Amino acid sequence: MADEIIRVLYLDDEEANLFSFKAAFRREFEVHTCIEPHQAVRLMDEHEFHVVLSDQRMPRISGVEFFELVMPDHPDVSRVLVTGYADTDAVVDAINKGQVYRFVSKPWNEEELRTVIRSGYYLNRSRVQNAEQGAEVLAMLEKLAGQVEALDGQLAAGTPEAISRVQQELRNLREGVLQERERYAQWMDRLGK
Amino acid sequence: MRFGPPYGRVKVPLWAFLLMAVAALSGCGSGSGTAVDALVLEVVEDPSGTLRPEQVHLKQGGVERLEGARPNLGSTDAAYWVRVSGWQGAPRNARVVLDNPTLDSIDVFTLNGARVLGSVRSGAAYGNPEDLIPSFALPLNEAHELWFRVRSTKPLLLPFSLTQVDRVEATRRRRDLAVALYTGMVLAILIYNTFLAFTTGQRAYFSYLFVVLTVGLVQWCFNGYDRLIWGDFSWMAVNGLAVMGALSGLAALVFARHFLEVRRYTPRWNLMITLLLWVYAAALISAFLGMPSVAYNLVNLGALSAPAMLILSIVSWRKGNPSAPWYFVAWSIFLVAVTMQALRDFGVMSSTPMAAALLPIGTVLEMLLLSFALGNRINVLKRSSDEANAKALAASLENERIVKEQNAELETRVRERTEDLAKANSGLSNALHDLQGAQDQLIQTEKLASLGQMTAGIAHELNNPINYVQSNATSLRRDLEELIQVIEAHVAALSGLASDAPDGMELLAKAQDMARTLDLSFLIEESRQLIQGILDGADRTAHIVGGLRVFGRMDGDNLVAASLGELLEASITVLGDRARSKAKLNVDLEEGLPPLWCQSGKLSQVFMNIIVNAVQATESRWQDVEERKVEVGLSGVKDGAGKLQALKVFIRDNGTGMDEVTRQRIFDPFYTTKDVGKGTGLGLSIVKGILDDHGAQVRVESAVGEGTEFQLLFAIDAMKGGGTQDRNEAA
Repeated sequence: MADEIIRVLYLDDEEANLFSFKAAFRREFEVHTCIEPHQAVRLMDEHEFHVVLSDQRMPRISGVEFFELVMPDHPDVSRVLVTGYADTDAVVDAINKGQVYRFVSKPWNEEELRTVIRSGYYLNRSRVQNAEQGAEVLAMLEKLAGQVEALDGQLAAGTPEAISRVQQELRNLREGVLQERERYAQWMDRLGK
Repeated sequence: MRFGPPYGRVKVPLWAFLLMAVAALSGCGSGSGTAVDALVLEVVEDPSGTLRPEQVHLKQGGVERLEGARPNLGSTDAAYWVRVSGWQGAPRNARVVLDNPTLDSIDVFTLNGARVLGSVRSGAAYGNPEDLIPSFALPLNEAHELWFRVRSTKPLLLPFSLTQVDRVEATRRRRDLAVALYTGMVLAILIYNTFLAFTTGQRAYFSYLFVVLTVGLVQWCFNGYDRLIWGDFSWMAVNGLAVMGALSGLAALVFARHFLEVRRYTPRWNLMITLLLWVYAAALISAFLGMPSVAYNLVNLGALSAPAMLILSIVSWRKGNPSAPWYFVAWSIFLVAVTMQALRDFGVMSSTPMAAALLPIGTVLEMLLLSFALGNRINVLKRSSDEANAKALAASLENERIVKEQNAELETRVRERTEDLAKANSGLSNALHDLQGAQDQLIQTEKLASLGQMTAGIAHELNNPINYVQSNATSLRRDLEELIQVIEAHVAALSGLASDAPDGMELLAKAQDMARTLDLSFLIEESRQLIQGILDGADRTAHIVGGLRVFGRMDGDNLVAASLGELLEASITVLGDRARSKAKLNVDLEEGLPPLWCQSGKLSQVFMNIIVNAVQATESRWQDVEERKVEVGLSGVKDGAGKLQALKVFIRDNGTGMDEVTRQRIFDPFYTTKDVGKGTGLGLSIVKGILDDHGAQVRVESAVGEGTEFQLLFAIDAMKGGGTQDRNEAA
């Protein structure tokens, strides 16, 4: 995982901020910036971003509204709101409507923002992996059910050869399930860290 | 003023006077000559009145003998010829007397057969004052015939008598005396009551005077004395009796109406009185139209009013009219007198001198009684008026007492109320004080709130440039370090190469590799841009702070000469994206306008307040930012001569607009259309206060669904050089 490049999108109505952001983080992350919200929506459809940052106060749309807009299509992306001045209403909206992951105020602290982006990336990753693991477990259970059914069919013959073959198959199956259990335990341990 | 004469004292002399008059008239009557039974009267009717004496002489066939001392041929248009005989053998100084001065014409002819020997003319129509007792000399020859031709519009009452000349003259003298006495009494009554009439002003008195005057004149007419008044005005001599009779009738009716208060006691009789009045009026009219006998007969018809008035007085009496009995008695006397006269005229009653005096005595008694009655009426009125006065006095005294009591009570009440009011007043003062305190606090809160909003706006505006200045600085340092690494690598390689070190080429290759890896040209370009960003950010920060400086102190009262344009720009800058990002802001400020003496901080507050309201109004109306339009303008207003007079600021929006009720109330303190808790409603009232301090005219035009425009007009000289500046500087 660590070898993957973190893809970040930053939306702001001020060119100067976009440039600063890119200059600050281009070394660690794959930084995309854009000044228009509709352009940002298109970029998000084209690339899979791990973290999306948006300025709160923009002429046509607020950052919260932008997040609301893209959430249905990109539920797993980590959303970070950047704002020059935060009133209570904006904060409440950000949490309730935009399901914002983090809240960063301008002028930003570069280190802090870097940490936020990284942890946002991890959050995104675990969300994605969660989904993948879930699908894997589901597939495995279905495979298992199929194998059990096949064995059940072989037992119907009732011959000693068949029984010993089923016993052999069951031992193999047990071995496989135990291996999977070991793998999940390791994964769980890693998540717990 | 006291009404009414002291009748009690004058009654006795009046009665004495009356008795004397009766005695005088009786005496007069006793000497008026004796009817000579010897006289034989024969009459010939001449219906057309065209017969000549000669023809009469021949008309022996139509002769009728007249009986009685006072033959009455009635009222007729015909002429009558009367042959008087039986005078033969009378003394030479005897005269034939026809004692009826009302007869219009008397022509006396002495005939010898068919030949007229002589003629004498007499009668009312000829108006001879010496001829009040028509008397005629006897013919010299006893064989001659004596014919009287009489014609009159009045009844042909023919009291012929044979009287000696000196007796005729004595009779005339006595009659003169009687009429004089009568006239004197009537005049006395008339004058006395005239005085009373004007003193009391009573209507009944005036009609009474009219009655007395006309009744008196009728008596004159009866005796032929009226010709003393009319002289040779023969029309009046012929019609006098009818005219006077009608007038006296009118007078009597009008008097009855007044005296008996017909309208009050017997309203139904009023119509009858009116009818009778018309009868008399008709008599007058026919007299004037030249129909004397019609007039006379109408007057006779009007005599019906005599019994009618008697009955009326009885009815009125029974209805409780206190004047009615007086009237009844007076009228009865008059009626008795008139009746006796009539009876005498028709020969029913013997014609004694006493009987002849009855009518004038009756009229005088009637007049006197009515006069007393009038006096009594006045007394009654006065008594009731006194009683009413006494009652009114008692009532007013009672009222006064009550009023005094009420006054005292009222004073007590007023005192109590005053105390209550004083208490209430002091309570109100306290409440007002509290209210003012609360208001001050609210104004302070509002100030702080707007300060807070401003702070928020400024913070956001400043944080953006500060952000990229800071961030760029960090990035620049990193870029710089990398550049330094590359430079150092190159320097090391170059110095290695220069010293022919073995790894020289290796070092150069490494340095070049580093430059390639770090993308040197990109680094340089980025550094340039980062520096530019830092400069821009610093500029922008300076600009915002510069805008803030224009405001001066937020609550500063100091007057400064400030450009309204700069103030507007600064306001918009400070509002920042609270204005610009929420609506399309179109700012059009005229250049080169002179500065305005003003409290710059307060004016900026005004502009910001109105602009924020405008933006909010567009936000409420339009979803799309592009549709929300707010225009801010500044222009100079010039007078006719092109001299700059005022500066006009307008702030126009295409927002929701206001209805008339809201528009009129926007400057009221605590009036707000925002939701509870969103606004204190003090914003615009403070704005208005500040604008008033600047002497600015404010005009607000608005229509629902179209938008609102604020126009602020600042007079150039309004704040300059005046006392305000000095005062503020002193303060």
